[in-house]
Amino acid sequence: MDIQIEDRLPFKLVRLSGDVDLHSSPRAREAILNALKLKMPLLVELSAVSYMDSSGVASLVEGYQTARKQGLEFGLVAVAQSAMNVLKLARLDKVFPIYDSLDEII
Amino acid sequence: MQIPELAIDVSHLVTHYGSRKILDDISFQARQGEIMVIMGGSGSGKSTLLRHLLGLHQPTSGSIRLLGKDITQLNADQMYDLRKNMGVAFQGGALFNSMTVGENVELPLREHARLDENTMRIMSRMKLEVVNLAGFENLMPAELSGGMIKRAALARAIVMDPRLLFFDEPSAGLDPVVSAELDELILILRDAMNMTIVVVTHELESAFKIADRITVLDQGRILMSDTVTAVRASDNPRIQSLLNRTPRNEAINPDEYMERLTREIF
Amino acid sequence: MNTLLSFVAQVGQRSLQSVREIGYHAALLAEACYWLLFGRWRRQPVRLGAIFREAVGVGVNAIPIVALASFATGMMLAIQGIYTLRTFGAEGQVVLGISLSVTREFAPLITGIFVAGRSGSAIAARIGTMQISQEIDALRVIGINPVRYLVAPLLAAMLLTLPALTVMSDLIALFGGALYCAGELSLPIGIFFARTFEVLVAQDVIHGVLKSLIFAVIITLIGSANGFNVTAGAEGVGRATTRAVVLGCIGIILADMVFTFLTSR
Repeated sequence: MDIQIEDRLPFKLVRLSGDVDLHSSPRAREAILNALKLKMPLLVELSAVSYMDSSGVASLVEGYQTARKQGLEFGLVAVAQSAMNVLKLARLDKVFPIYDSLDEII
Repeated sequence: MQIPELAIDVSHLVTHYGSRKILDDISFQARQGEIMVIMGGSGSGKSTLLRHLLGLHQPTSGSIRLLGKDITQLNADQMYDLRKNMGVAFQGGALFNSMTVGENVELPLREHARLDENTMRIMSRMKLEVVNLAGFENLMPAELSGGMIKRAALARAIVMDPRLLFFDEPSAGLDPVVSAELDELILILRDAMNMTIVVVTHELESAFKIADRITVLDQGRILMSDTVTAVRASDNPRIQSLLNRTPRNEAINPDEYMERLTREIF
Repeated sequence: MNTLLSFVAQVGQRSLQSVREIGYHAALLAEACYWLLFGRWRRQPVRLGAIFREAVGVGVNAIPIVALASFATGMMLAIQGIYTLRTFGAEGQVVLGISLSVTREFAPLITGIFVAGRSGSAIAARIGTMQISQEIDALRVIGINPVRYLVAPLLAAMLLTLPALTVMSDLIALFGGALYCAGELSLPIGIFFARTFEVLVAQDVIHGVLKSLIFAVIITLIGSANGFNVTAGAEGVGRATTRAVVLGCIGIILADMVFTFLTSR
């Protein structure tokens, strides 16, 4: 799994790619929570994610809740199919703000 | 991640209990994402077959390939790694009575992964949401009803997002509404996660509803392993009697019968 | 002829079964020790928290009953000792008798028997119930070795707490004896203990503690083995608990005899 962090003002953008699984999701979690410490609204881009399991989704949930507590905007962008399946299974697709592409929000 | 075409490939499996032969030359396959229902009356050997699929017993001969690996040949470490991709929901739930429902669901994560405490809590609660047990994580198993126990057991079985899910008698002991809900849940899981699901049951209705393919066992042998339509259309008398719930009516061999009745007397 | 034959067959079967059972216990011990020592390198460590919980269950919670039994035993030894020694006019020697029999024999034995009764049955019941409700199978399919998860922490807890209980039992039994001597022989308690420590050598206490380690192993193994071998439902669990207590106590007494025979000649 690769993590890229970019500035797309007014947002911080965390791009995840590759497999987000039990092995790699702790790093994704750390990147998301650290990015939120900058007190900027956060987007997580998932178009290049080949596989995401529940531990990855759990990290997104934790990030979203942290952002909400601080009144920061948080969104998922270009959610890949495997990640979408896990989100849908737990009905989280109706909870997260989800955008098809970066153009849609920036 | 490489996904082999056949998630389950059992070939020429023979097992004994003591000197009694329980399973005789069992061969069947299931593809990734397929729901395979193993059916048979009591004493057909279906529970024994499940226990072998789970790697709880060593067969006398034959091979069992799960996700491309022959579990009869794996060493303990390799089996340990394979088990991360296997989830099992037992007939009675087999929840650990000394732990809360939430701790039960988290246990596989604690054993297999190095995750943050928060991540594990969220993961287990997500799975409890999936099985409609949200908010029950702090109850003890003894406080749950039969249907809730089965659902909690299912949540524990899928907490690691396994590629293989085994479900022993999902509808046994449940009322029709609850068991229909479980059937629905099995279908949702397969569609969302592309899991290969093996369901052992003797409930016809449930089997026909969820199965892609059905393997019918009788007295330790496979009568048939085919699609639902093919099983329904089968003219095998034993399968027909199973479908129509007629008691078996076999020809009697008088010599063998008398021998059984009078053994050790004359 | 036929009855003789079936008798011999039965004896053979029984012996075979006993040998098999002893083998099973030995394998269980080897496996539990393996996980305690090497579990960390096999990614399956025996957790300290689990050992601690078991130690509270089998050790700390046994303190009141072991204390009471030890006190009564100490007093009983004093009563019996004074009664016996009086015939020789040697009541003064009672301190020697009490000290040696308590530390070498009675404290470990009383502790062992009571822990076997309390925990041997509890272990068998817990593991037996888990066996029939498929919880043991559930552990295995999750990838948790049941011996590592259930037996190893218990064995460690027993090995830690039984010697401690035995030392406690030593002190309380001696105190019971001292109390009776104070009343009967007007022997001040301080003097009783001073004399006790004069006659006792470290080896006497160690002798008792070593025994308690053997008892710890026996109780754990017999309790767990009977639990794992439960097959016949709730009735089977009942039978296993009874068997665990009876065999545990017999095992302790036999081991005690052998150990004392080998070390006290």
